[in-house]
Amino acid sequence: MKFQYVPVLIAFGLGGLVAAVFVAAGMFLGPRRPSPVKEAAFECGNPPSGPAWGRFSVKFYLTAILFIVFDVEVVFMYPWAVLFRPLGVFGLVEMSVFVLVLTVGLVYVWRKGALEWD
Amino acid sequence: MDATQSLRYFGPELVLTAAIMAVLALDLGLTARGIERSRWPGIVALAGAAAAIGSAVRLLRVPAREWLFGRMLVFDGFSVYFKVLLGLALLAAVWMSLGSREVRGQPNEGEYFTLLLSSGLAMLLMAAAANLLMAYLSLEFASLTSYVLTGFLRHNRRSAEAALKYLIYGGVASGAMIYGMSWIFGLTGSMDYAGIAAGIAQLDDPSRGAFFLALVLVLAGFGYKVASVPFHMWAPDVYTGAPIPVTAFLAVGSKAAGFAMLLRFFHFGVGAAGPVGAVTRVPLLQLGTLLCAATMTLGNLAALSQQNMKRLLAYSSIAHAGYALLGFVVFADAGVQAVLFYLTVYYIMNLGAFWVVMLIANATGHEDLPSYRGLAWRGGALPALALAIFLFSLAGLPPLAGFVGKFYVFGAGVERGLIALVVVGVLNSVVSLYYYVRVVKTMFLDEPRAEDAPVHFALNDLAAVGLLSAATLVLGIRFDWLLARVETARRIFAG
Repeated sequence: MKFQYVPVLIAFGLGGLVAAVFVAAGMFLGPRRPSPVKEAAFECGNPPSGPAWGRFSVKFYLTAILFIVFDVEVVFMYPWAVLFRPLGVFGLVEMSVFVLVLTVGLVYVWRKGALEWD
Repeated sequence: MDATQSLRYFGPELVLTAAIMAVLALDLGLTARGIERSRWPGIVALAGAAAAIGSAVRLLRVPAREWLFGRMLVFDGFSVYFKVLLGLALLAAVWMSLGSREVRGQPNEGEYFTLLLSSGLAMLLMAAAANLLMAYLSLEFASLTSYVLTGFLRHNRRSAEAALKYLIYGGVASGAMIYGMSWIFGLTGSMDYAGIAAGIAQLDDPSRGAFFLALVLVLAGFGYKVASVPFHMWAPDVYTGAPIPVTAFLAVGSKAAGFAMLLRFFHFGVGAAGPVGAVTRVPLLQLGTLLCAATMTLGNLAALSQQNMKRLLAYSSIAHAGYALLGFVVFADAGVQAVLFYLTVYYIMNLGAFWVVMLIANATGHEDLPSYRGLAWRGGALPALALAIFLFSLAGLPPLAGFVGKFYVFGAGVERGLIALVVVGVLNSVVSLYYYVRVVKTMFLDEPRAEDAPVHFALNDLAAVGLLSAATLVLGIRFDWLLARVETARRIFAG
């Protein structure tokens, strides 16, 4: 009973060992010919623009959070659509309240000017 | 019970939700008209909190004990008692904010009151959560709103630093907690507390060790919420940096909600079948005893040398979490009753103390102890007297409410045979007397110096403080009234 999971432990150990061997082999056996192009940051094939530690405007995060909120709202609509008939009027009212609450939030964000990009 | 029927037992939360939306809409209306500052968001928030309390008080008389919303929340005397207490904490925080110079000076007051009400709503949910998922979500909801409230003073470095520390610490604690919860779910196969209690009975021996580890991880999350050692490090910085009404709300509201979760989880969840340690054969009693003794001792020793009143009260609140934990460690109905009683008394006296600190900060602009020098002799006799009452009550001197609270907690401990722990508690009370009395001495016995300006207090600012100090005095003598309320609330619905 206690040794039920020993094979998992062995698999973990083997996995770690294989990874360590490959990394060590690369370090000791591989040739090393550095060049400026090789050492540049890889940005999907484009020439790198600016340092990797550049700062982003906080507005991106605000937009991302707003996107998540409404994304999740839509996700909640899928199960409701599937169960629309069994839930009946109750489901409609509940969903309306849910959407109403989020709409108040959207109106608030909009009127407070959080969506303006200046 | 299905969702439509559950709504009847969900009054306070619905009222608060409506109030949150009303404050938001009002704030928008004010912005549209170009009004920068207005009393109205605060007044609507105050009305919302009062209506939520009214709704909770009406539920006190409902004898039903039910699962709500598909076994996510429960409705029982315990949760309604906490809802009244948390509603009162919210009401007091809103009232305090209306008179706070720190908060009133800020833009976005509407946002502040929205966040405060949301935090209150989250705490009501915490008090009723009886499912790991709901417990986690409501705790996170309360934490997230608290982080923003803590950092509300935008151009104040201390406030921003406090919010960041709170956020990082809270993230680690809730991460540990949800990891523990995943283990509990894995071991018992259930998310709701009744199912967990049933699952524990079937644990085999190797699983008990894993279960204990899971309990420790969950305890980290709850311990962080009630600010118990060793998860207390955020409290002094957050209490010092946050605006005083928020500090008071965190100190009484957040702590009470944390205790509600702690008690429900350990008595109704894992302990429903009997004392937890006995059922699962894990050393939970020993662990609880250790945490309790460490929390009391460290809180009191660290408070001894504090010069800032908010910091002093922060360490004192850690120590009081320790006293309340003593009632938790009893693991019986008597202990639950003692904790409920203690938290109520703690609400009154600690809130009163923070309120006076806020009034003095409004008048002098300072929160450090030297600015209290000779306060009674330069226009602040009434607030100084009130603060003395609250501090003596916090120290546990008779005939004040704090004495009765400690008496019941220690009494429950003695009944359970935790003599050593009670001795530690009593010794700690003696130690705490030193730093409480030091403040009283500074206010009354120290001569004001030439640079200490006279202060003025409007009589209507003192109304709430007068009310709270009267309650501290009355509850010290007529505690039977509160005891009867607690008696009906201590039995937790067990599914």
